[in-house]
Amino acid sequence: MTDLLQLLFAGLSQGAVYALVAIGFVAIFTVSGVINLAQGEFAALAGLVAISAVGSGLPLLAAVVLAVLSVALVAVIMERLVIFPVKRMTTLVSLILTLGVSTGLKALMLLVYGPNAEGLTPLTPGSFSLGGVSIRYQELWILLIAGVVSLAVYWFYERTLAGKSLRACAEQPVAARLVGISLTKASLLSFLIAGTVGAIAGVLASPIYFTSWESGLTLGLKGFVAATLGGLISVRGAVLGGLLLGVLETLTAGYISTGLRDAVAFLLLIIVLVARPAGIFGRTAEARV
Amino acid sequence: MTRRLPRIGAHRRRSRRGDVIGIAVVALLMLALPLVASSSVINVGVYALIYALAALGLSLLMGLAGQVSLGQAGFFAIGAYTQAVLVTRYEWSGLPASVLAVAVTMTAALLVGLPLLRLRGHYLALATLGFGIIVTVLATESDFLGATSGIFGITKPELNNRTYNSPTEYYLLLVPVVLLGLWLARNIVESRIGRALGAVNDSEVAAESLGVDTFRLRVQVFVLSAAYASVAGTAFAHWLGVINPNAANFPLSVKFLLMAVLGGVGSVYGAVVGAFAVEGLDDGLRRLIPELLPGAVGEVQLIGFGILLTTIMIFLPGGLHQLWTGARRRMAGDTSAPVPEDEGEARLEPVADDVPLLAREGRPAPGTPLLEVRGLTKRFGGVTAVDDFDLTVAAGEIVALIGPNGAGKTTAFNMISGAVPPTAGEVTMAGTRVEGRKPHVFARAGATRTFQNLQIFASATVLGNVMVGRHLRSRSGMLGAALVLPARREERAVEESARELLELLGLGEDADRLAVDLPFGRQRLVEIARALALDPDLLLLDEPMAGLSGTERRELARLLRRLRAGGMAIVLVEHDVEAVLALADRVAVLEDGVRIALGTPDEVRHDPAVIAAYLGVEPEDEAATAAAEAGTP
Repeated sequence: MTDLLQLLFAGLSQGAVYALVAIGFVAIFTVSGVINLAQGEFAALAGLVAISAVGSGLPLLAAVVLAVLSVALVAVIMERLVIFPVKRMTTLVSLILTLGVSTGLKALMLLVYGPNAEGLTPLTPGSFSLGGVSIRYQELWILLIAGVVSLAVYWFYERTLAGKSLRACAEQPVAARLVGISLTKASLLSFLIAGTVGAIAGVLASPIYFTSWESGLTLGLKGFVAATLGGLISVRGAVLGGLLLGVLETLTAGYISTGLRDAVAFLLLIIVLVARPAGIFGRTAEARV
Repeated sequence: MTRRLPRIGAHRRRSRRGDVIGIAVVALLMLALPLVASSSVINVGVYALIYALAALGLSLLMGLAGQVSLGQAGFFAIGAYTQAVLVTRYEWSGLPASVLAVAVTMTAALLVGLPLLRLRGHYLALATLGFGIIVTVLATESDFLGATSGIFGITKPELNNRTYNSPTEYYLLLVPVVLLGLWLARNIVESRIGRALGAVNDSEVAAESLGVDTFRLRVQVFVLSAAYASVAGTAFAHWLGVINPNAANFPLSVKFLLMAVLGGVGSVYGAVVGAFAVEGLDDGLRRLIPELLPGAVGEVQLIGFGILLTTIMIFLPGGLHQLWTGARRRMAGDTSAPVPEDEGEARLEPVADDVPLLAREGRPAPGTPLLEVRGLTKRFGGVTAVDDFDLTVAAGEIVALIGPNGAGKTTAFNMISGAVPPTAGEVTMAGTRVEGRKPHVFARAGATRTFQNLQIFASATVLGNVMVGRHLRSRSGMLGAALVLPARREERAVEESARELLELLGLGEDADRLAVDLPFGRQRLVEIARALALDPDLLLLDEPMAGLSGTERRELARLLRRLRAGGMAIVLVEHDVEAVLALADRVAVLEDGVRIALGTPDEVRHDPAVIAAYLGVEPEDEAATAAAEAGTP
């Protein structure tokens, strides 16, 4: 029982990271239909920037803010340089473009920060025990901050004018343009959101899961799986999908084999896509067509 | 100017010669390399040839199926590992081992492809990415496969008591393999299969309405693409002598993708050119970057890959192939100018109205019920677009479906032809239940359709469009197409019958023009010709008269009468009520999704409900005025 609780807790905190990455996928996909393969790199880059800033003597909080801001800037630059100039964005083109950015960012991180994986200093070091379950303070921070950020994003989409216009762009691009919403601005804003939540995921995860130049690959893939579980167009779905994936992964690692941990996401993706293709695909199709 | 990925098979007639020249040039360059290059350069060339095969497979997948795989290295690794196990553990010799290795990989691809190819682009891309990771994980975890250190001691291949040891020897062994791969790929692109998939990329619903089973073909191409990767994998295993989990690594998949994109997804030989360019770049960057930035270690060359991928997609989406065709077109002078609107109408020979056309052995006798629609209903949310619609159509009659805008005519068509699943109801075509199934099932039952908003295959010529219509009347498959011999005669027959049909519709002179270059009205005729190429028993025409001139309308009406005389059943949706009432045997009237009348033109003309529908709902509607005039004797 304690084992199970331990695994569940670890899974939730891992899943909260996936959830944030997944929100990034959803933010961009709903507006422009682009699956941003560099989403995982946003997180990795934020982790590495924060680590190196702390290493050069900056206080932890300042380093975190610096990391989030610089990654948000990278995301915005990416949108302007790579997404904006393309007039006819097909799935194939968008995948190759964002893959190019992802690969370039990866190599840049390797050049600048070297090949080793490192962990950021935790916000609060140490751990405590609750009913036999060992809990790290950082894991609590992850859950807390991921929860606050998710709620903030949700509130943004549901309650603010800017958020509503983003949703309008996703559901009725032509009608949105007719009432004066700029699709280019919406696309830029969606990348800003994706970069910010991705970066937050990266700095939160780094103290526990470590960060290296290539850690964005699996993180990105799992974020996508989480987003897909939630239907790819829903923030709430992305959060639930992330938590579910995190828990299933730690349970697999705990009860079956650590090696199979990375296989879970992929199997889950196939099962969900095969079992509910109409449900998932149907909803996204209605928003796009 | 819109940016789009040129596709394999685009501008078919012009590219055919281009591809042959391209392959010949590539062959010469490949063979010339060992004569001039140093051993270390040839070593790079060996890897380029190996990777070229994998990239070629990917290029086929992207160009033909319009899908992208980010896990090509996964299949590459499965091929390599199978080969390594067979050769080192079971002491198979290289050649039979590679046959089994390719078979194993194709089976794996089939299992992965079957669930995933039902879905759209990004799911396949991400799922194949995941697949590559899984292969790496499994290889790392499996003691049988040597875990992280992999499998050692794979010998260099021996053929005819000759061991291929040096880079030059291995290089020259691989050149014919790559050329064979190119040849097969080119044949498939030029085949019935390639044509059908090209059509799918232009308009999936139109291709399916002509009988193309999109899903099946996509799976075939996916498996073929994996087969190419596995051949590359076996060659890789023998050359390196050791195979480890890195073979399934994501950066390698990215490299394959870059090779295909750089060479130009619109061409097969482009993948080979791309492979040499990328391997050269890879080698150069690996040397250059550590010199510029001391301390740089690992896969730093990826930075070049990333930048190259992005810049190519933005500035040169057709890759190097685009430069090459662009240069050729400039040299030849561009001949693809659009046809001016005023160049006249389709030129038809005047023929009597009742001379049967396209009568065919085995066509159901006039009066035989063909299409039976029962209780067809479609609801979109709270709106009922079509409500409990019944219709029976017999061979040799023309039935018109009329009604005000938004009455549900096109929705009914979409459900009957399988493009949209109904909420309720049955559709039976020639004894086959077709509702809720794909349009290609409807086509297979002997029926096809045209579209209100044209669904021309934009990248094909007029002839190419019509030849897709012969898809079900020809049968060469992937294998036959690859080997060319049995398929060539069939291709000629298909082209001949397509040309005959174009002559019949007065489009003979436009046959080799790009279909999108024709004026709107004649594009409609191309769609009708394309549908007729299927040789259907039932033809659904969605507003065939729209956009046609007066003469063209009369000619089309005559054509439809002759088709009816030939035993074909025709259902048409049309706004030109006068033309419809003159042409049709029976008329069904829809209003707000409900069939308010069904009968002969005379009955419908005097039906109070019909008059009310046209006059009451939209008095300013052109069609309404026409109906009102027709209704007052």
